[in-house]
Amino acid sequence: MPDLEDQLTALAGAIEWPTTPRLRVSLPARRGGLGWGRPLAYAAAAVVLIVAVLLAYTPTRDAIAAWVNLHVTINRVQQVPTPSPRPSAALGERLGLGTPTTLNQAQARLAWQVGVPSMLGGPDEVYLQQPPTGPSGGEVTLVYAQRTDIPVSGLTGVSVLVTEARGRVDEIFFQKTVGSEATVEQVTVGGHPAYWISGHPHDFAFVDANGNVHGESLRLATNTLIFDHNGTIVRIEGDMTRAQALQIANSI
Amino acid sequence: MEGRPADDSDLISRAQRGETAAYEEIVQRYQQVAFRTAYVITGTAADAEDAAQEGFVKAYRALDRFRPGAEWRPWLLRIVANEARNRARSSGRRHHLELRLIEGFRPGDAAQSPEAVAIASDERRRLIALLNAMVDEDRLVIASRYFLELSGEETAAALGIPEGTVKSRLSRALARLRAQVEEAPLA
Repeated sequence: MPDLEDQLTALAGAIEWPTTPRLRVSLPARRGGLGWGRPLAYAAAAVVLIVAVLLAYTPTRDAIAAWVNLHVTINRVQQVPTPSPRPSAALGERLGLGTPTTLNQAQARLAWQVGVPSMLGGPDEVYLQQPPTGPSGGEVTLVYAQRTDIPVSGLTGVSVLVTEARGRVDEIFFQKTVGSEATVEQVTVGGHPAYWISGHPHDFAFVDANGNVHGESLRLATNTLIFDHNGTIVRIEGDMTRAQALQIANSI
Repeated sequence: MEGRPADDSDLISRAQRGETAAYEEIVQRYQQVAFRTAYVITGTAADAEDAAQEGFVKAYRALDRFRPGAEWRPWLLRIVANEARNRARSSGRRHHLELRLIEGFRPGDAAQSPEAVAIASDERRRLIALLNAMVDEDRLVIASRYFLELSGEETAAALGIPEGTVKSRLSRALARLRAQVEEAPLA
């Protein structure tokens, strides 16, 4: 009989392990290898904290964040919820966008500059969400009902949604929960990291400064480009191509 | 472990200079051993995945502190294992790593040493049963060294103990397992 240690060595190939998940990590560029600046270090520490918070709110998660940067965590899951039929209520109500307003009125109530993509022209509708239902800095959504070359989405009922929320780098973090059929690509907008999520609807949620999770419970998101525009987190959603989304983003 | 690609240091240098693609290559290269090491500690695949992911993120953030020429794997596994232990502690669950055999495993299914052929199926099951009956401390050190195929340094990193303790703990664990085997000899 083989020696016990030989038997153990031989047994290694027969041990059943859980399938190793594909861990895909994409991180912000390091600053020339000189280490993390002080603000960045604070933000990174906050990410770990917030990720832990987010995990507690993700009961269906089968896989952990595939992409992590200062603002965004993206969780890869086996299944996302089935989109519910769109009710016939007013657009803002059925999509949970907040209170209808105008661009000027929204701007007057926000302490930060709302970015408007010139490529799309003026928005057809504008919605504002503020605490307690919205994040601490407020959130504005620009609705573009129909635009040439961008079909009306079956999920949202409009061509493009541009949603913006402001927060300090350690204040607001966003979470995307995407299914296995969605693809996530790192792209660049204005020289900053951005994320293009496409191919399958996904959930969206974020955590505000008080640790409260705000979820888009009324709908799933379609193709989305997420990026940081001078401290404002911008989401551009619609059944558009990546090139179209980048063009819109670069026109803000 | 032997057989590791020789260009780890190149990838790490590139990652230290800010090449995220190089770090992604490192993740792909080491995700299995990181995940399995975390699994041995947490006992659940979900917690192991969380720990491995966070471990890679923390290792990336700490790359500036990685000493050129040092061994990458034990350095990474120490971080991942710390994450796994923290996660296991914070969950409040007391896990018991249950070793299992691949259903219908035949030695020819994978590249095996000649010894593999010598161990019949029922003998493997008997040995696994004895291992699962051992105290956690013994089972973890044996699983780390023989099933994860970690070096002494890596086992020390994974279990959070000095390398010398790994040797003494492994020696005692093997002695206890050997006694069990001799008490009820394998066929």
